Amino acid sequence: MSVTVSGDIVHLTGACLVEDAEPLLLAFHANPACTVDVSGAVRLHMAVAQLLLAARPKVSGVPSDVFLRDHLFAKLR
Amino acid sequence: MDELLTQFLIEGRDLVAGAEADLGRLARDPGDTAALDSLFRAFHTLKGSVGLFDMAPAEALLHRAEDDLGAARKTGTPLTADRIDTLLASVDAVDRWIDELERDGRIGADATDRAERLIARLGGGEAIQAEHAVEQGYPNWLASLQARFSLRIAAAEGALIAFRYTPDADCFFRGDDPLALAAAVPDLVDIAILPRGDWPALDHWDPFRCHAIIEGISAAPIDAVRTAFRLVPDQIAVAALPVAQADTGSATDRGDGARLVRVEGARLDALAADVGELVVAANGLSHATRLAERLDPDLASTLRAVQGDIDRISGRLHQAVAAVRRVSLAASLRRLPRLVREIADSLGKPVHFAMRGESTEVDKAIAENLFEPVLHIVRNALDHGLESPVQRRAAGKPEKGHIAIDVIRQGDEVVVGISDDGVGIDPDAMRASAVARGTIDAAQAAALSDAQALRLIFAAGFSTAAEITDLSGRGVGMDAVQNAVERLRGRVVIESRVGEGTRIELRLPLDAITTRLLVVRAGEDRYGVRFDQIVETARIDARDIMTVGTGVACVLRERTVPVLDLSTLLGGAETADDTARLLLTESAGEQVAIRVTAFDMQMDALVRQTEGLLAALPGVAGTALLDDGGVLLVLDLPELVG
Repeated sequence: MSVTVSGDIVHLTGACLVEDAEPLLLAFHANPACTVDVSGAVRLHMAVAQLLLAARPKVSGVPSDVFLRDHLFAKLR
Repeated sequence: MDELLTQFLIEGRDLVAGAEADLGRLARDPGDTAALDSLFRAFHTLKGSVGLFDMAPAEALLHRAEDDLGAARKTGTPLTADRIDTLLASVDAVDRWIDELERDGRIGADATDRAERLIARLGGGEAIQAEHAVEQGYPNWLASLQARFSLRIAAAEGALIAFRYTPDADCFFRGDDPLALAAAVPDLVDIAILPRGDWPALDHWDPFRCHAIIEGISAAPIDAVRTAFRLVPDQIAVAALPVAQADTGSATDRGDGARLVRVEGARLDALAADVGELVVAANGLSHATRLAERLDPDLASTLRAVQGDIDRISGRLHQAVAAVRRVSLAASLRRLPRLVREIADSLGKPVHFAMRGESTEVDKAIAENLFEPVLHIVRNALDHGLESPVQRRAAGKPEKGHIAIDVIRQGDEVVVGISDDGVGIDPDAMRASAVARGTIDAAQAAALSDAQALRLIFAAGFSTAAEITDLSGRGVGMDAVQNAVERLRGRVVIESRVGEGTRIELRLPLDAITTRLLVVRAGEDRYGVRFDQIVETARIDARDIMTVGTGVACVLRERTVPVLDLSTLLGGAETADDTARLLLTESAGEQVAIRVTAFDMQMDALVRQTEGLLAALPGVAGTALLDDGGVLLVLDLPELVG
């Protein structure tokens, strides 16, 4: 599983694929105030990335992948 | 503030200033095709930029104006004077909206009306709509992309390729991952993932559809970028970004654009304050060296060598930071042409307004605080200085008045001169008005030289205007100008000829970091006095000080000058040496001698504004650290004797 929910925190880990968009969307529906921890993410599919940009959740952690860090999460903060 | 908006406020205003300059060139020479091209580009880029914000009226107006300019370029028909006026009014309107956007976060409610009136004035034009944009190979998306990535583009060393990737909405089903594709673009500089329109609400979000588009810039060759998207050729647009043009006047101000860095002003202030402290700390070494001389001459000479090095380096650093802090005045004065036109319109006084030397560089503290006083003087010139067209004709002058601002550097000073060719100021009228107001009595008025009488306009609340207009007569007089300029450690010089006009000069120091001080003694206490407030120092025989009326005075350079005792001014005992040491200073245009007990050393020091209890002390401008660690009170002589 790339999307796991623990309490108020949604963890994205490893490579998040197109099918991870749906559980992430459900997590946002269930808890619109959740925080997304991206420290374990190494790759995001566009389906997941666009959802994060539209939902603009609180984001914690910094991914080690340079592309994600500089081009996606730098703008999400 | 949002970075995109911050960027737009800077660049939008640059474009406005550029467009104004181009229109000025076209007004002088309607056949200037380079100016027309540059103007077209400015309107085009502005239109792209305003599109990023909620500024629909601005976008519509600029679109209309751009069409107009496109037609003029195509047909080679020169713009008429009337058309140039309308375009100028359009630029003014956009400038005003940018101000409103900054101040209120949105443009005013009257924007649509204003835009519609201007669009109506621009008229039908020759119907060529938007095709010209495509014709030139300059797609519309490119302008907004340039605005979005402007920081990166400005920082880039070489040519850049822009791309805009609009994935099919159902591309996920085909196994495409647009983000992975974009991430694989070689030499990617930046990308942005943008909604196609607005993001759908999460309640209606379809996770299996692509709702986004991707824009990006790359430093790779155009073919390499195309290759990265070879599987989606129908969804991709690629274009080379135009390399910054160096042919417009404003571009030369920016210098080598590729190497410029924007730095937050507060960081520069902190750096300047630290460098100032370093200079003061280095002064402390000279104290240590003097102490060492008494104990160990060898140690002293080593210390002196070290001190020499540190002095030289800290001096260089000080100069370098001062140079970094210098900015062109153009940015702070750029609103003036528009405001002059608006004020002149409201007064019904046609005016020719010219600015020269506004790209002169000054310390940023001065650039930031100069606009208000200059605007105030210009307002006064328009309101009270310039006559109505009828009066001007009767006086044998051209109906259109002239107001000019010229900025030049003179040694360590920047001189901002504001001249008009209006009625001038009549010293007799000034005397009469001052007496009528009770500012001075008739005898004092008669004793004033003409130059001193002119300076009466700086007296608090002074106005000679028979009728108070809503413009200048608002209780903020020239005294506010004088105060603002003195806070910048500058002074105001005024010249006027009745019937011919007035020139007011603001003379300001170039470098606002450390201040040269003369340390003086009053009794046993030491005080700092700013060098720029000292006209000269003199030693005279104490017997040459005579009693005049209730005070004392002496003759210096064949002029009688009142003498005040620093000790008594500060609440101490009168100085009673045989030799009187005098500091000559100027207060409100008059020379005053201040008697001190002794002249001490000179020093460069960082003068801090006083806070708390000290701020309430009259005549104290700030504090400085002495090189033995003591604190020196720095006096404000004009305030002390005024």
